[in-house]
Amino acid sequence: MSALLNHLPNWVWLVPALPLLVVVINGARVLLGLASGDAAEPLTARLSSLAAFGGLVLLLAIDGLALLHGAPGHRRLGHWFGTGNWEATFSFMLDPLSLTMGTLTALIGWLVIRFSANYLHREAGFHRFFIALSFFLAGIQLVLLAGNGLLAFVGWEMCGVSSFLLIGYAWHRPVATGNALFAFITNRGGDAGFLLGLGLAATWLGGFEWTALSQASKISVVNDRLLVIGFVIAALAKSAQLPFSAWISRALEGPTPSSAIFYGAVMIHAGVYLMLRLEPLLVQVPDVMFGLVVAGLLTAIYAWLCGLVQTDVKSALIFATLFQVSLMFVAIGLGWTTLALVHLCLHAAWRIWQFLLAPSWLAITRDRPPPPPAWLRHNQLLYTIALQRFWLDKLSHTLLVEPTESFSRDVRALEEHFIDHAIGQPGQGKAVHADRPLVVADGLPGRVLAAVSDVLQHIEYRLLLRGKGGMAEKLMHRAGAYLRTLEHLLEQPRYLMMAVMATFVVIL
Amino acid sequence: MLAGWLDCSGDDVSAEPELPIRERLAHWIEHLTHVLPAQAPIRDFVHHNTLHGFQHLPFTEALAAAQALTGATTYWPESRFRECLASVRISPDDLSAALDDFGVGDLDQPVVRNLTRRDILLASLTFGCEAPNASRQAWLLDETSLADDPRFAYFYRSVGLAPSKGASENWQVQALARWDALCGRVGRTWTWRALLEYLSGEDVLEWTRSILQRHLAAHLDLGVAAWRNPAQGQGFFAAWRASAGLDLAWEMDELPNARDEILHLPDSPLDVLLEELPRLVPDHSQWYGYLERLSLELPGWSGMFLWRDRNPGRGDGTPVAMLDYLTVRVLLERLLTDDLLRRLAGSPLSLAELHAYYAARPEEFLVRAALHEPGLPEDLLGRAAHLVQLAREGHVDVAEWRHLAAALAPAMAAAQDDGAAWQMAGLSRQLGLMPADLETLSGDDLTALQTCAASLSSLQRGHIWLLAYERHYRELLFSALTANHPRQATPGAPSAQVVMCMDDREEGTRRHLEEIAPDVVTYGAAGFFGVPMFWQGLDDAGKTALCPVVVQPTHLLRELPAAGEERSLAGHAARREKRLRWNERLYQATRRRAVAGPVLTALGAVPALASLLAVTLVPGWFGETARRWREQYEGRVSTRLGLTAEQPVAATPEQPQLGLTDAEQIERVEAFLRMIGLTAGFAPLVLMFGHGSGSQNNPHLSAYDCGACSGKHGGPNARVFAAMANRPAVRAGLAARGLSIPDSTWFVAAEHNTCDDGIEWYDLGSTPERFQAAVDRLLGQMAEACRAHAAERCRRLASAPFKPSPWKARQHMIGRANDISQARPELGHATNAAAFIGRRQMSRGLFLDRRVFLISYDPVGDDEGRIVEGILLAAGPVGAGIALEYYFSTVDNERFGCGSKITHNITGLFGVMEGADSDLRTGLPWQMVEIHEPMRLLVVVEQTPEVLTAIVGRQPPLQELINNEWIIVGAKHPITGAIDLYCPRRGWLPWSGQAVLPQVARSADWFAGESQPLAPAIILGGVR
Repeated sequence: MSALLNHLPNWVWLVPALPLLVVVINGARVLLGLASGDAAEPLTARLSSLAAFGGLVLLLAIDGLALLHGAPGHRRLGHWFGTGNWEATFSFMLDPLSLTMGTLTALIGWLVIRFSANYLHREAGFHRFFIALSFFLAGIQLVLLAGNGLLAFVGWEMCGVSSFLLIGYAWHRPVATGNALFAFITNRGGDAGFLLGLGLAATWLGGFEWTALSQASKISVVNDRLLVIGFVIAALAKSAQLPFSAWISRALEGPTPSSAIFYGAVMIHAGVYLMLRLEPLLVQVPDVMFGLVVAGLLTAIYAWLCGLVQTDVKSALIFATLFQVSLMFVAIGLGWTTLALVHLCLHAAWRIWQFLLAPSWLAITRDRPPPPPAWLRHNQLLYTIALQRFWLDKLSHTLLVEPTESFSRDVRALEEHFIDHAIGQPGQGKAVHADRPLVVADGLPGRVLAAVSDVLQHIEYRLLLRGKGGMAEKLMHRAGAYLRTLEHLLEQPRYLMMAVMATFVVIL
Repeated sequence: MLAGWLDCSGDDVSAEPELPIRERLAHWIEHLTHVLPAQAPIRDFVHHNTLHGFQHLPFTEALAAAQALTGATTYWPESRFRECLASVRISPDDLSAALDDFGVGDLDQPVVRNLTRRDILLASLTFGCEAPNASRQAWLLDETSLADDPRFAYFYRSVGLAPSKGASENWQVQALARWDALCGRVGRTWTWRALLEYLSGEDVLEWTRSILQRHLAAHLDLGVAAWRNPAQGQGFFAAWRASAGLDLAWEMDELPNARDEILHLPDSPLDVLLEELPRLVPDHSQWYGYLERLSLELPGWSGMFLWRDRNPGRGDGTPVAMLDYLTVRVLLERLLTDDLLRRLAGSPLSLAELHAYYAARPEEFLVRAALHEPGLPEDLLGRAAHLVQLAREGHVDVAEWRHLAAALAPAMAAAQDDGAAWQMAGLSRQLGLMPADLETLSGDDLTALQTCAASLSSLQRGHIWLLAYERHYRELLFSALTANHPRQATPGAPSAQVVMCMDDREEGTRRHLEEIAPDVVTYGAAGFFGVPMFWQGLDDAGKTALCPVVVQPTHLLRELPAAGEERSLAGHAARREKRLRWNERLYQATRRRAVAGPVLTALGAVPALASLLAVTLVPGWFGETARRWREQYEGRVSTRLGLTAEQPVAATPEQPQLGLTDAEQIERVEAFLRMIGLTAGFAPLVLMFGHGSGSQNNPHLSAYDCGACSGKHGGPNARVFAAMANRPAVRAGLAARGLSIPDSTWFVAAEHNTCDDGIEWYDLGSTPERFQAAVDRLLGQMAEACRAHAAERCRRLASAPFKPSPWKARQHMIGRANDISQARPELGHATNAAAFIGRRQMSRGLFLDRRVFLISYDPVGDDEGRIVEGILLAAGPVGAGIALEYYFSTVDNERFGCGSKITHNITGLFGVMEGADSDLRTGLPWQMVEIHEPMRLLVVVEQTPEVLTAIVGRQPPLQELINNEWIIVGAKHPITGAIDLYCPRRGWLPWSGQAVLPQVARSADWFAGESQPLAPAIILGGVR
């Protein structure tokens, strides 16, 4: 029994794997057409809920173990890939930070899945929603429990993809799809930072393990700073801090429960978690920590001002959430990481409740909230700035989304105008020579082939078909005469001996 | 039909050009109230006819006009009706009879050989007139059984052989004609935006809305935002201009001149409007039409703005003028269409030049128009879309447009031919014509066949289907009434009389009560029980009107602490206030306060997570426990009613009179009892049974409440009525008027929660000792009836247990009502279909599936029909409002309803949006109407046709409802039981049909295991 208990932490991979398995099962059911109608709904919901609950129970058991015998810490479960200089592993981190957040997330995830089973009943996108939600749950647990940066990055991306899918849940509404794309593209900036950090870690520290990363004192401060900045960018983007804030206020197009778990309670805290995880690295570079304080404070001002003018409940809540998350960044920047962690957990618990109750706003509030102080209240310019959300979404759109879109257009144009023509299409061939309509070709390979066949044909034509009197025939005749002379000479004994001798020389 | 409507609207709005523009604008805005959604802020959701502004028109014309105006579909799609035909929800007989009802002429005249018009139309309706697009046609013909059908081969071959109409040669001319027609629509059925969207595929409305929506919501906000626009007090136009003039978004959106223009606008919105409108529409006579179009493009926001304009007293004091809104809307339309036009043409172009621009480029127009053409091959559509996309990014050579247009023109003509072939083949398949028969038909015959089949417009077809759909249910209901007629038994000495709301949901409660307690008699009436009043409960901050929305009460009734409870009331009020203040702090400060926010978040987090866990796992237990704790903390205060006023005062709705005088009480009680026909044979107990609905996390909460109480709970009305009827002074007064209530009768009151099927009883403590036993018995019977009712409701809910026991069902309902994740706490009026006005005996013992409003009325002694006239006037509009709101929200949930609840987001405490940037959504959510069968209300009155004719003759509101066919009226003769159906065209039509019904012992035997709508049945246990 106790042996089994001691092995329990090695099963932690099940926490992200179970929801992933459910994604596969439900995905297969949808693809095979087995999931349709009322009757298919309970199975989808129950499988998702069971996977989430399984993860919760496992984590609670590990928590219990950790309370009794101390946290299991870093566990390396297997080799993934690597070279002589660095290695990627399947490893999990089971320290108090990961376990706290993992357990809270598992609980919230399980509750939200149960909530959604009723809430989304008979929606056209019922199964799609549960697949995306389970996928998210797997991703976020991978981020929280992974023992190394690379595995965490995989989870990070899974969160990004599922967020994209759920913002675009009502895909027939152009606003929803546009915002999904906007959030997706903006978040890619953070991914670039994450990848940069990972790449530098592999080069300088020889691996992605969090344990290795925390021994950053081995490398110079300059290198450390560069490494940290990559992760900080990732954290700022995921937690929608300035300058990335705009995406989160446009991410509220999905069903209420997905807004609640992604932007109210869980995913928005992923950046804070990353910073907490990299605390040993951070403390080496006080200037970056100062940068965190500045970014946090600016975001706090932004979110507080914008929050004052919001007129719909979900937007009002999202700015309130953003405000408190930015305070966590300030706390981390000041080195108060325990405070940030406690705040994070309490905040997540409160916001999930508040977001899920957003449709009750008519019933749970009485009065208009008190107005801001008079100096602010009468400032038309500040009001406009707050109402237009500092024009951040327009700026991000102009700076990030539009360039991406025009880049994709250019790539498409390149493909249409050059690559397609270069590669060519079957059945679209044109005659290469007007006098030989049977030879048709399109694209570069086609033309090359046509040219080769042309040459071969030319040779054949010159050598064989034009027969007597051609240049080739004369050459052949001459070569034949030489060969005959050679043979004649070789038949003489002295030359035969020389040939034998030469052969021996070569062999020796 | 449509033209007629437009004319009549034109009469109002553009026939007075001499009037000053200010007055004309006022008229126009007044007229907009007819076409925009009239939904009040969502807290006060009251059912009303979605097309209330068209109610002066006959139903069919109103639907056609609404469709032309809003683009919404006003009937179920034919495919839905065809599914009903397949599942025998509509029988072929119904469809055939519907053709007669609709008044199609010469139905039985042969058109081709022995095929009558009826045969052909029936075949056309059953087969359908929508041809699938070319690719799908090809697939169907290759892959399905149609491939083996020689008729399809025959018609497709003949199309192939038929010479092309030569349409493809002169496509330039056709494109020009089409372009002219489209331009002509601007100002009539289109705005410039719509035209430009048609051309470019780019909808500036999305842009307009996202520019406008934040400002609109901020201006109308009723309590979400802490910070309001500093210029808000000067009206919307000034507030918008103050912000827009500082807004850098114009530059970022590449509209650099817009901000300058806004800064230099005149101060008066009227001047701005008069400056901008001619730029869009030079012709004065089209101004109103254009403004109407513009308003209808964002119906939710326009409607809410107009509602606030019309009801200034119901807002928060912010000035709201529709003129401001229209001005900004017109200005934005001009700015943004100018911009789009510039991008479309590649150089600045005015709206006036647009026509000439495309008239000179028919090839480009044709390609752009082809994208809206149904039935084109997909590769051509793809090429067209690609070219349009290229044109958006850069210049496209005219040769490319021309090349593609030349390919598109014959394809467009061919698509029409294919469509015709498809229809003819389908028609002959339906008519059973074989190719051999077809060979013998002449070209003229085929043309006649085709013409006859296509002689009905899609609206007419929709209406015929609706008539058939309604008729099927009506036949069932009439035969049920006829079968039940001989079973009518006069009850002897009842043990109790229960007066419930006429609500369709209470049909179930009444039926189960009568099954459980055969000696109980039930009555139904509008759930305010004849007492229109303002109500202020002990815990309420202000007064609430509890009466139909058209009535303005002038009396305020207050709940007061019982004698000796004043002290505990003070404590209760203080503790309650404290609780609510903390509540407010938690929810508001955690989003608003910079310092207190995080602290309160930390405080609230653990209880919140625990609550979430509890409410998710055991919602019923959590709800009950929370309620109990709340009650324990606040302390219970027993209350009494501030019922009686000593002196009548001149009361107004603003300054209502406190309480009712004795005379008023006597008059109310008498009128009500006489109306429901309860004037003698009083039982020991009379229960007044109001209702309301309690559910969690539901912005549309009040749509489930009592419609006769303006979407509020009707319990206080029941309580007031019972208290009045128990007063000796009132009884003495009643006796003096010949209505004596014996001392052996006691009135009690209760409220039914239609969501969890619980009952709250009022003032039981004041019941005299001698009634105690009877009250206890009734309490048990009512509770049992509600449990049985809960079991019946479970059958329509997918997540409810299958065939539950009454106890289990009630537990499920309690959980459901307290579950924050439940988007369907109950189904509301989703099953409403008919209304009976008459004695309960006509329907007692019938299983009516919670589909019928039951209104008590005794025709005996009402030979003039005065009483029923009052009932019809009060209940007719309420019932019609509910039925029609459900009808329209069902047939087009996108336009008339508010879509799915799951992405709804409460805005400004007055409405819901989808996500954080959409139009304001009005009407009923899809979750409320998904199982609704969209039909007009069938009202069956127990009275003679002659009396009813006379009543309708003297009541214009009833003429509007009945003669315009917004409701269907039948009469059941009080003595013979013969049923007549009223048709405005043909008068009273006697009904004759089968009257054989299945018989079961109890309701539960009939509905057990069923989840679909059920036909009526005779319940043997329901009649004593």
